[in-house]
Amino acid sequence: MSAALANQPPLRARADGISIRDVQMVYRRGVQTTTALAGCNLEIPAGSWVSLIGASGCGKSTLLRILSDIVQPTSGQALLGGLTPTEARAERRFALVSQHAVMLPWRKVLANVELGLEVARVPKAERRRRAEEAIEMVGLRGFERAYPSELSGGMRQRAAIARALTLKPAYLLMDEPFGALDELLRDRLNFELLRILEETKATLLLVTHSISEAIILSDKVVVMSPRPGRITQEIDIDFGHNRSPAIRDDPRFGRLESELRHALGHSMGDEHH
Amino acid sequence: MSRAWRIGGPTGVLLSLLALWALVTGLGWVDPLVLPSPVAVFGVFWNQPWLMATNAGITATEAIIGLILGNACGLLLAIIFVSSASGRRAVLPLAMAAQAVPIVAVTPALIIGFGDGMEPKILVATFLVFFPMLVNGMRGLRSADAEVGELMHSLDASAWQRLWMVRLPAALPFIFTALKFSACSSFVAAIVAEWVAANKGLGYLIVFAGSQYRSDEVWAAVLIGTLSSMILVGLVVLLERRVMPWANDPTEGLT
Ligand SMILES: Nc1ncnc2c1ncn2[C@@H]1O[C@H](COP(=O)(O)OP(=O)(O)OP(=O)(O)O)[C@@H](O)[C@H]1O
Ligand SMILES: [Mg+2]
Repeated sequence: MSAALANQPPLRARADGISIRDVQMVYRRGVQTTTALAGCNLEIPAGSWVSLIGASGCGKSTLLRILSDIVQPTSGQALLGGLTPTEARAERRFALVSQHAVMLPWRKVLANVELGLEVARVPKAERRRRAEEAIEMVGLRGFERAYPSELSGGMRQRAAIARALTLKPAYLLMDEPFGALDELLRDRLNFELLRILEETKATLLLVTHSISEAIILSDKVVVMSPRPGRITQEIDIDFGHNRSPAIRDDPRFGRLESELRHALGHSMGDEHH
Repeated sequence: MSRAWRIGGPTGVLLSLLALWALVTGLGWVDPLVLPSPVAVFGVFWNQPWLMATNAGITATEAIIGLILGNACGLLLAIIFVSSASGRRAVLPLAMAAQAVPIVAVTPALIIGFGDGMEPKILVATFLVFFPMLVNGMRGLRSADAEVGELMHSLDASAWQRLWMVRLPAALPFIFTALKFSACSSFVAAIVAEWVAANKGLGYLIVFAGSQYRSDEVWAAVLIGTLSSMILVGLVVLLERRVMPWANDPTEGLT
């Protein structure tokens, strides 16, 4: 317990982490507008792990897309380590694992995993080594020479995760990366991810629909509600770092689960009024 | 579909057609001036192999050079058009208008300008295959998923990297569609251009032999022209399989 506390992430200067300030996102399609995010504020200290959880359509992916410079917010500001998403992208500070494991169909798994390093002009031998390491981590050994069309959905997801891991990003942005995996594999990869995060001291922003995954992978769970998308609650998970699968047996785990379920139900309940 | 059937099926159909051809000409159902017997037609290859081979070679050279030039120009222009909106606005209307020119009708003018050598035929073939490649290429270069574009964007890929790693590979199926189409039409273009004015090539042979009522030679020229363009299409298909191994349908061998 005290060891766990000693391993709490240091709350360092805000500029090092992810900072979302008054971010509003309104999608326009002709005359129709959708407020995907209405005034969101969130501070994620460097090296800490945050999950976004909430009903479908509450703007979780939108938030990640703003941070990865794919879309610009209508108003407000998002910063990664004090840099705007555009600057952070140019400096290759973050890696995005998007909701649909995106693969280039004409590249075999190995080449797909190497893609980010190839774009960053990392020498061939080095990128081969790092890609093989990442493929090993996600358990895709033996499939390096398969085409994406020959993989299952879960395998494609793992290849997409591997591609992000090769980049050793300071900020890891993951959108439901484990959605298509079975429970056991999901569990194994959850803790594998934690190990990598501890090793690289990366900051994690994860979107998930699984309450237990959110608890396992977070220092803080952010609950969002839809229409318009906004943050309704932030729940701290005080397990510290260096977690083991044993945290599931911790009495706090069950309490947090029901607290989160309640918070989620609440945010969903709002929707139906 | 078994391998034996893939080869044996078409061969069987071909042999049946040949038998039918021999039958109708042998029984005298058609005027031999319209359709001579297969023996007469194949006899031309036997008696004048050199005449057939050289003329087919000339036409094939024109068709292939036209094919390469036209497709290269078409693809290059497609790349420019999808990369630069201003380039597209300036040149695309012109390219569209050029497509409306009945090039075969312009051939006599080309002959006046370039003489009766190979150049005008190559030009006609080039012109005819250029536009399908431009249109297909533009569609293909834009065909990658938006999400793939977002991935490349988040990886901070340069325009060249996107072209090389995403746009061109995504365009390959479209490029090959255009290539397969133009492998045939480049032959047609070369032969038609040879009709107008030439002293060699299959088109010339057809016109010349036809004017002297030597229909066996006409049909021999048609046959070798068909065969040559089939070989060219076959080569394109082989190339397609080699270049796009990911697109090979894994269920193909099963059905
Ligand atoms: N490109 C777009 N154009 C218009 N509206 C969009 C666009 N992208 C998202 N939206 C809208 O914004 C809202 C939030 O979408 P978003 O994808 O961020 O939700 P989400 O929380 O990730 O949902 P899910 O859990 O289903 O993935 C939705 O109402 C959606 O319809
Ligand atoms: Mg989403």
